[in-house]
Amino acid sequence: MQSIGDQIRARLPYQRRNAASFALLIFAMVLTLSAFAEVGLARDGMIPGGLVVYGGGLAVLAFIAYFVQLRFTPYADPLLLPLAVALNGLGLAMIYRLDLDTSADRKIALAAGKEILKDAADAPNQLMWTFVGIGLFVAAVLIMRDTDKTDAPLSFTPKTAQRYTYLIGLSALMLLMLPIVPGIGAEINGARVWIRVGGFSVQPGEFAKLLLVVFFAGYLVNKRQAMSLIGKKVGPLSLPRARDLGPIMVIWFFCLGVLFMQKDLGTALLFFGLFVSMLYIATQRVSWVFIGIGLLAMGVFVATLLPFMGHVNQRIDIWQNPKPYFDGGCLLESGKVVPVNPNTEIYKKFDAQDAISPGASACAELGGTYADSAQLMKGLYALGQGGVLGTGLGQGEPWRTPLSFSDFIFDSMGEELGLTGLMALLLIYALIVQRGMKTAVAARDPFLKLFAGGVSFVLALQVFVIVGGVTKLIPLTGLTTPFLSQGGSSLMANWILIAILVRMSHDARKPAPQAIQDEGMTQIVSTR
Amino acid sequence: MSMDKPVRRVAIFALLLFFGLMAQVNYVQGSQAEDLRTDSNNARQYADVFNSPRGQISAGGEVLVTSTETGKDNPKYGRTYKDGPVFAPITGYFNGNATQLERAYNSLLGGKDKRITQQHWFDTFIGKKADGANLELTIDPDAQRTAYEQLKAKTQQGRRGGAVVIDVKTGAIKVAASWPSFDPNEVAPQTGEKGAKRLEELNKGSGVLRPLVDNALSQTFPPGSSFKAVTSAIAMERDGLNSSTTVNTGQLILPESGKALPNSHDSGSCAGTATLKNAFAESCNTTFGKMALDMGIQQLHDGSTKFGFGERVKLEPDMFAAKSEVPVSYTDAEGKTVPTGKDGTARSGIGQENVRATPLQMALVAAAIANKGKIMNPYVVQKVRAKDQSELQNASPKELGTAMSEDHAEQLADMMRAVVASGTATNLRGQRVAGKTGTAEQDPASGLPNSRWFVGFSPVENPRYAFAVATEGPGDGAANAGPIAAAIMAKVLKK
Repeated sequence: MQSIGDQIRARLPYQRRNAASFALLIFAMVLTLSAFAEVGLARDGMIPGGLVVYGGGLAVLAFIAYFVQLRFTPYADPLLLPLAVALNGLGLAMIYRLDLDTSADRKIALAAGKEILKDAADAPNQLMWTFVGIGLFVAAVLIMRDTDKTDAPLSFTPKTAQRYTYLIGLSALMLLMLPIVPGIGAEINGARVWIRVGGFSVQPGEFAKLLLVVFFAGYLVNKRQAMSLIGKKVGPLSLPRARDLGPIMVIWFFCLGVLFMQKDLGTALLFFGLFVSMLYIATQRVSWVFIGIGLLAMGVFVATLLPFMGHVNQRIDIWQNPKPYFDGGCLLESGKVVPVNPNTEIYKKFDAQDAISPGASACAELGGTYADSAQLMKGLYALGQGGVLGTGLGQGEPWRTPLSFSDFIFDSMGEELGLTGLMALLLIYALIVQRGMKTAVAARDPFLKLFAGGVSFVLALQVFVIVGGVTKLIPLTGLTTPFLSQGGSSLMANWILIAILVRMSHDARKPAPQAIQDEGMTQIVSTR
Repeated sequence: MSMDKPVRRVAIFALLLFFGLMAQVNYVQGSQAEDLRTDSNNARQYADVFNSPRGQISAGGEVLVTSTETGKDNPKYGRTYKDGPVFAPITGYFNGNATQLERAYNSLLGGKDKRITQQHWFDTFIGKKADGANLELTIDPDAQRTAYEQLKAKTQQGRRGGAVVIDVKTGAIKVAASWPSFDPNEVAPQTGEKGAKRLEELNKGSGVLRPLVDNALSQTFPPGSSFKAVTSAIAMERDGLNSSTTVNTGQLILPESGKALPNSHDSGSCAGTATLKNAFAESCNTTFGKMALDMGIQQLHDGSTKFGFGERVKLEPDMFAAKSEVPVSYTDAEGKTVPTGKDGTARSGIGQENVRATPLQMALVAAAIANKGKIMNPYVVQKVRAKDQSELQNASPKELGTAMSEDHAEQLADMMRAVVASGTATNLRGQRVAGKTGTAEQDPASGLPNSRWFVGFSPVENPRYAFAVATEGPGDGAANAGPIAAAIMAKVLKK
């Protein structure tokens, strides 16, 4: 029986779709340049100078990337590059809009010698990281070679990584642990997911994400036969052997470790979800999914019971009922929430004592755990303000939401682009993921299948966790919004992810190598 | 073993995740958006109020309050009040916060009311702001100006005065003027910090003057002899008295202190006995003190509630007058509750002791007398129109209650006519007004001036309007409140 992959491969036209890719890229650039123009027109009443610097810069980079793709991976999926450029461009325009340094009003005010607080949105920096990100994309496409050249000397292909499975797994682990190391690690905005290298803050988790996909793919390709075929059948589920359960337990403990030590529910959810999905792809056994979900649920449940993990409990409470926590709320043992916002007497009392965080001090006195839902609520207010069509870029007040340029950039987009804009953004993400999945199906090698499926799913899961968080679909946890959030690590990692998919899609879609000799023409030489 | 099937399943699961996000975004930005925008914690809506023009307020075809562009970013729109101090008791002010009508009709004026947003649901859908609705008031602007000028001229320096005129058939308020007043222009959004400071100043006031609290609807004064109309009405309803019943007008010894309740004069009708009508016309204190003693404070209190005493009269949704009271007990300086004694009851019967009334309340008393015993609920907003002139609200007169029988109302009206014809207010003869004077002493020992009243109706026959005027200062109600009422009514009747 032909597998679905074979059927798809059989139907693939093996056409180069470079014209389509080019047209879509032009469209992505028009979108981005229009976004910059709208920001300038709305804010200063003129086409901004940034249009040339930022839009132009992005255009040049995107076309370089296109020509590299055209030259070295001509059979690549035509959608991946334009979609990523569109997201990156819109994100850049939003950060440009949030960075008030780029507005004419502010330049005039500064020239007049007025003092203005610096906001944390930083458009020039983001442009630089976009350069680096697309540069990495180009470099990755150039360096990586087709998988049939894996055995050639000095060649590096996506499949090369399979040889170093455990080494890569170890380095992923180390990258994840780095932020906990004192001296290098840094806590920014309450999450300990950063390290400081030179003058830059890097989120190693973003890169660890890719390395973990490689590790899982390499590991599962080896073990999948044993894991999927051997086991007891209990009802409709077939349970795995205890020794096959070992690795999943290790990952489970590891994810809970991340949860406990870095207080980062989002990352834990991301890695565990990734592992379970790849396990399922490799073994086709639904029992793994149930076991995985069961274990995760148990872990989270245990976490809510532990007193020092009160914040997990609270995150869930905030999610269900954010209102009493606005500007500070205090969850008591009894499960009651007492507001400790700046309007309350107890807050004023501690404020008068010059407490650094009067709300938290007040809550400590009441004997509860302190939390603040203002971020989430303000993000939702931004969405409400946007409505169906949005206020228009540059015409809303997204700066009212804290972290409007990073964790909450999706809400900022929602305010100014409206429901319409958000649906478009989600469709772009969904398209990238589906093209990645299609690449996985079309891939010939099991390792590459897992690899492509894994990176595609991790992208989907990351978007789900952060976007679901800021729209109150699930409890809020901090992750970057791929291609949109301000920050270099995320941009670099995601551009590498796109490069891998581009290379693999080229690999899968290119015509099979032609036999050098035609069987019929073969001469049979008798030596007798 | 191929992995294509599970990859496809995971791909479908990934799609489901995206569908979940899309559904949630639709839910939040589509159906929840309105609730989020108006959430009490949402600071955007408060900053937002200056970003779009509010509706106008007009009266008698004259536009009184408008929003104007400031040409600045924040606030984008200011608020301009024509003859601000004259109309402030009704319009109130707006500077983000608001009072009076600006507050009561905030959602309509600001374009956020459901009646507007539902009408323009498509605009709401695409996030376009609905325009604020315009208010048309029942106020007669010329009469209101006259009232303001008259109160200003006839009130003692540093003291207060208020005047109210009501259409007795509908309850429509024609005049509600106060002295002193304040200019809402000084605290409007465009004044910025200067306005905020001014507002603080106004709020503090000086002496007894609280410019932000109007003296027509929101301030009470002892009604003095004008309250005798209420005492009489209760006695007629309860004890079957009528205007020609002979009553004692001579000396009344107060049972607790053994002192006499003084009359303003002991000649004429107040010399011994007279008809109730004449005792009322010449305002003999002893007659009404005795009446109150006979019925007791509880009856006096209960009877007064039929006129609207004892509760805050509701003018508009979220706009109330101050509470007028005939207390059966009061709180003394030490915080103890003391029942009103016999002497106090007698003094309550002539509108002294702890009896307090707003000019609006006394106008309602006169309205009951002029309108066959029925009181119509007072209101100030006649119509609310959306920007496209469609009518969103039209006031429909409704009854507040029946204070007395038609017959007793007729008799009391006659008694009020007698006050001007032959009683304490003969100075107002020929001025198309009838009413009861009142001169309440407010502790002369500590130098407080009298509270001077004239409460009645106009025209004398077939009355159409009820009024009440109160001013503080030396002298009596006939000379110091009556002419103000006559001047106001001349303007009102001109229409």
